[in-house]
Amino acid sequence: MRFDASQLRRVSESVWDIPRHGGMRVPGRVYADDALMAHIREEKALDQVVNVAHLPGIVGRSLAMPDIHWGYGFPIGGVAATDPAGGGVISPGGVGYDINCGVRLMATSLPATDAQSRIQSIVAALFSDVPSGVGSRGAIGKLSSRELSNVMEQGAAWAVSRGYGTDGDLERTEERGRLATADPSTVGKRAVERGLDQVGTLGSGNHFIELGVVDEVFDEPAARAFGLEAGEATLLIHSGSRGLGYQVCDDYLEVMQGAMSKYRIELPDRQLACAPVDSPEGRDYLSAMACAANYAWANRQVMMSLAAAALEKAMGLSAERMGLRLVYDVCHNIAKLETHDVDGRRLRLCVHRKGATRAFPAGHPDVPSPYAAVGQPVLVPGDMGRSSYVLVGTDRAMEETFGSCCHGAGRVLSRKRARKEARGRSIAAELLERGVCVMATGKGTLAEEMPQAYKDVANVVNVAEKSGIARRVARLRPLGVVKG
Amino acid sequence: MFGRPDYREIEHTADVGVELQARDLPSALESAAAAMFDVICDVESVERRLTIPLTVDAREGDLENLLVRWLTELLYVHQSRNVVLSGFEVLSVSRGTLEARVSGEELDPERHTIKLEIKAPTYHELLLEEREGRWSVRVIFDT
Repeated sequence: MRFDASQLRRVSESVWDIPRHGGMRVPGRVYADDALMAHIREEKALDQVVNVAHLPGIVGRSLAMPDIHWGYGFPIGGVAATDPAGGGVISPGGVGYDINCGVRLMATSLPATDAQSRIQSIVAALFSDVPSGVGSRGAIGKLSSRELSNVMEQGAAWAVSRGYGTDGDLERTEERGRLATADPSTVGKRAVERGLDQVGTLGSGNHFIELGVVDEVFDEPAARAFGLEAGEATLLIHSGSRGLGYQVCDDYLEVMQGAMSKYRIELPDRQLACAPVDSPEGRDYLSAMACAANYAWANRQVMMSLAAAALEKAMGLSAERMGLRLVYDVCHNIAKLETHDVDGRRLRLCVHRKGATRAFPAGHPDVPSPYAAVGQPVLVPGDMGRSSYVLVGTDRAMEETFGSCCHGAGRVLSRKRARKEARGRSIAAELLERGVCVMATGKGTLAEEMPQAYKDVANVVNVAEKSGIARRVARLRPLGVVKG
Repeated sequence: MFGRPDYREIEHTADVGVELQARDLPSALESAAAAMFDVICDVESVERRLTIPLTVDAREGDLENLLVRWLTELLYVHQSRNVVLSGFEVLSVSRGTLEARVSGEELDPERHTIKLEIKAPTYHELLLEEREGRWSVRVIFDT
């Protein structure tokens, strides 16, 4: 049944509510302006906000961030918190197949003009030194099953212990790059097999490595705290948990199909299949998901080292000389146990973020100490031709969205439409004309990922700022991009 | 060389979906597999040099689950063995167990064009049903 858009209630210029109706346990809330809402109404994303509101134990609201678009199960940009003490569930579909898909931003002291003058060599080095594309493997050699268990238990710290990066990087990674609930015994054989040779690989689709420049600073004190200065080069990596993560999601989606009848849960979409957080199935998924999340953090930590070495090679300068340093690493496909205030009560909740980024404010204990006074960096990549943004979390996000914000621009064209519109054009040549040098492994990737296939991320972050769930800190402009 | 499978690509903003019709359940499953691999790669370039027997167990009486398990198994074979597939023969479907023989060859980046990575088939808007002797299939993939 399609959602009747006349039920949308406008709360303010950039906030819309969906009152409870039918089997919804809580109302829905969507962050969008008129232009974004016009597009959202055309697809089935609002139905998905409604469907998520059916999850047992959901509290507050079923939320959609400003980059909401049609996903499977949850909308992309969906946030939902459940209360385990009140029968709250955990849903693999609320995390997605690419568990802990996320973004890592590095700053440098390198004038962007220096990088620009060698951009072809930089992109070529990144392209050859970080394996990318479908099924990419072999970045650091095949691991033993035992070593893979260490990766799944230790996350980013495993990579640091093997010489990829430093202890200081861990402080600048969400959760210090490790979820403690990880238990490798809950991860199936196939997932392990797929994970053995993919640490340090980018993958394909919308994953990328981007060399950019801090184009404009909106919030000087926050930018200073994050180490971002206008005119300096940056490096952005977007990737996740690769085949291991997909397999964990697959395996537990199957487990949850059985759990649904066992716990007598009925939902409007099978992809939302779930089990109580506090059940054997729920606990096992939480542990296996944490393994995949830790794998993704190790993956991005290794990739950062590979990318830094590629940059050193292309620039003929050491990473130290370039002042290369990690700003932050965020995950945007995850479910985590977090403490939040709901209706005056302090609750331990299971917060699902499916294409949404944690956005904790200044003073929150989980914000790393260098950023304690300003808040957590929120990394919002846009398309490869326009820009990406660094935002910062706010108290308002804590009150309204379980400390969450958007994660990207959101697609506006299907891949099919994008391929059609790209026919007869050279996207690489068009981007080069705009000052962006790109290389991609997949034949259709550039067409499907062309800038016009995405909404302008500037509109998305404007809504986030207007509604108060984040503040803009800086805008980054791409100079060179490697795609899978 | 073999022809391209007959299916319609669904306009899904973030992901990719396929819709198709078939005369019976085995051919519906075979066509769904062929459509999935046509999304992944240029299937016309895939020769059938090796044959792999497969057994897929699903929940009895749950056709949607059978379709998802079947496609998931094929993706696993594709990704773990680094092969591309173009031939799909469903030998039997009984009590939730599917027996099949699939064929293709090792992925050769020189000859095979990989178009898109599929992470998984999803249950979202999934359809596998028979009406008046025609089978309809719809699958949305996470890409």
